[in-house]
Amino acid sequence: MSVGCGGKPAVNKHRMNKELSMFAARLRGLIEQPEFPAGKLPLGQHFDALALALFALQFKDNLAYRKICEARQLTPATVRYWAQIPFVPTGAFKELELSCIPPGERTAVFHSSGTTEQKPSRHFHCAESVALYEASLWQWFKAHFSGENEFVFLTPDHKSAPRSSLVHMFVTVRKNVGAGRAQFFGDAAADGAWTMDFDGVMQKFRSAGDDGRPLTVLGTAFSFVHLLDYLAANHLPFNLPHGSRAMETGGYKNRSRTMPKSELHALITEYLGVPGENIICEYGMSELSSQAYDNTLKRAGSETGDPSTARHFQFPPWARVQIISPETGHEVAEGETGLVRIFDLANVFSVAAIQTEDLGIRRRDGSELLGRAQLAEPRGCSLMTA
Amino acid sequence: MNLPNYFLAGLPPDAELTPAIVTAACETLKRNREKYLAGRKTSDIVTILCEVAAGWLQPENKFRRLALEDGPEITGFSRAVLEKGLNDFFRQFTPENFAALLKQDLDEEIVADAAVHETPTSRHFWHGPPLLVHIAAGNIPNPALMSLTLGLLTRSAQFMKCASGASFLPRLFAHSIYDADPKLGACLELAEWQGGNMWLETALFAAADCVTATGSDQTLAAVRAHLPEKSRFIGYGQRVSFGFVTREVLRDETVADIVSRVADDVIAWDQNGCLSPQVIYVEERGMVESDKFAGLLAAELMKHEMTEPRGRISMEESGEIASRRSLYEALAAHRGDVKIWSSQNSTAWTVVFEHEVRFRFSPLNRFIFVKPVPDLATVLQGVDELKGKISTAGIAATPEKLKELAPQLARWGVTRICPAGQMQNPPLTWRHDGRPALGDLVTWTDVEVQPQINTDGHR
Repeated sequence: MSVGCGGKPAVNKHRMNKELSMFAARLRGLIEQPEFPAGKLPLGQHFDALALALFALQFKDNLAYRKICEARQLTPATVRYWAQIPFVPTGAFKELELSCIPPGERTAVFHSSGTTEQKPSRHFHCAESVALYEASLWQWFKAHFSGENEFVFLTPDHKSAPRSSLVHMFVTVRKNVGAGRAQFFGDAAADGAWTMDFDGVMQKFRSAGDDGRPLTVLGTAFSFVHLLDYLAANHLPFNLPHGSRAMETGGYKNRSRTMPKSELHALITEYLGVPGENIICEYGMSELSSQAYDNTLKRAGSETGDPSTARHFQFPPWARVQIISPETGHEVAEGETGLVRIFDLANVFSVAAIQTEDLGIRRRDGSELLGRAQLAEPRGCSLMTA
Repeated sequence: MNLPNYFLAGLPPDAELTPAIVTAACETLKRNREKYLAGRKTSDIVTILCEVAAGWLQPENKFRRLALEDGPEITGFSRAVLEKGLNDFFRQFTPENFAALLKQDLDEEIVADAAVHETPTSRHFWHGPPLLVHIAAGNIPNPALMSLTLGLLTRSAQFMKCASGASFLPRLFAHSIYDADPKLGACLELAEWQGGNMWLETALFAAADCVTATGSDQTLAAVRAHLPEKSRFIGYGQRVSFGFVTREVLRDETVADIVSRVADDVIAWDQNGCLSPQVIYVEERGMVESDKFAGLLAAELMKHEMTEPRGRISMEESGEIASRRSLYEALAAHRGDVKIWSSQNSTAWTVVFEHEVRFRFSPLNRFIFVKPVPDLATVLQGVDELKGKISTAGIAATPEKLKELAPQLARWGVTRICPAGQMQNPPLTWRHDGRPALGDLVTWTDVEVQPQINTDGHR
């Protein structure tokens, strides 16, 4: 693949660039190779070349992105390695159509969560980009959730929440493990708010207890709060079978109740009987095609693990994280805090370099996510609530 | 900081506060007030306050020196910002200004010996709350200093609960009062804890006759919900402010002066107060165009960064500024009507120019929006969702134009209209959020004049 981009490129407004499709197919091949994850994915040495090639393609086919790059005077002709590739802030997905897919060929869109008054981020997809998303999410999910557990999703399925990238991920997991091993217990109300079939969940928990079959319960942090409130109100502590797990993700954007992670995890242990080392946190967003998981399972298995209780997140080999100083715009040193920037090769048809509004700490074995930390006491008069 | 431990806020960090300590402090305060403050003349108190303020304006004053030397490390504001903020504040403390405040809020002549107001047909006595409790906000120090000042004028014993990490300047001010008059100082108590500590606050509220609270709407609601029936509550919730530069003053010969004033408003207390502007609306069709004005403002902020640098901010604040900047940089690459100017290699200052008239919340710390508008009516549309939440409009206009604008702003609900450059420097007579700050603290006894009693037994 050519990296350079001399002269004025021809922007094909009507049909998607074949080169992008070829890139996507090649990357999918790398992601799905059987050596992964046991062997070292031979992606590391190629990451830079792949990133630069993808940048050249996106610069050519994503007009909104191209303008941002040109304003920063960073083009495929001037960028030398992946970390120099211009990033786009997640907020820009609300305002701009950051896509290489021509409008007529877009078959799906994922929206960020939030209140209805707020403009959501929009990440446009086509059949090829969805296929890549599914390959990316499944390979890394599989690497973290091996075993024969049944999956209990606390969210709606894709019929009720077609624009949620998280729900699409769970649907993909179900497709891969088989419908008999995975079930959704959520729904969406008329106003879009997610609801939960508590009776169904209770029944599932009880039957799992009877059979001794371990479960993996997955949902947003908020859906866990919802479930735990119900269990607490009805005095229904469970002790799910040995080997059961929980996966929680995401924040509480504009929800009525928030809870610190440590408290949430303690309650999951108390009411579901899932020990802390079996609680896995996921970090993902509609603007990305890859997710990060914390290394809690690995830590539990390692005797010389990090003595700190902090959870360090790791993306798959086809995505890299940098922690960026908001003051200087440069990557921080190990142990320092900054904004989380992700370079996700699987974002082939949009923008690979994304800067989030989340804070993280750079660690040797990943990054520690702090989220959009709230100030302890209000400073200033910004009236901002979220 | 080598100051005696007169106040709870001065105790070493390992000394744990308990409800019993808070209760005992409140009892001592009330006793001291009876002994030392209740009988004081207003004129005495004003004299002491003016002396204290004059001291603070002297370069060698020990409290000022401590504030400027240790303040940057403790408060996060740069020395120059602290210096300007404190100077502006203490310069207001003159006998004339206090006289105007007392006249305005209490109809009291400062020469009066007691809290009595007499007219030919009536007499009125006013009483301050015996124990006044303040729940102070942590963003900037002036409101806390002003609260203590007003409480002294009402001859109240005062307990101020400072936000965590924010007791430094209130404590220095209280020490300076103690230094000038230990008996007055003995009627003040300051402590610092994280708000919402019901263990301590229940004890404090139980003793309070009146509680003032400054902070978020949630903070106010929480305080109000925990007050006993007998305690009065005065809440100052979150407010936002904006500037408006009118076309008549956007002339080549005046624009530099206006830009400098607007920059002062953005720089004062690093834009952290409710009175600091978050958006500057600029009227179109002036000789100087609105986007040029924005560019000049950016240049002015850059210049001031050399002499009055922005202070230290948290990673959350810094991260938010960086995020907002990158978004506007992306938008500026697409839209000719969005522009952004910002400091290099720091988040020290940012100017965003955009045509969207809707008010935008700034991440503060010298991040200012400049928005062109055809007229005031459009400004008011832009802030429509914030009705009841706007404190100050800082206006740059000719006197004639101001005469025309002020009634419209007042009718809409703006509670303070001031000249550009003075937004963070309200006078002592400022009616906080439209209410008389001093007058609201007192209760009155009205004595109606007795009719002439007839001696012949008939009416």
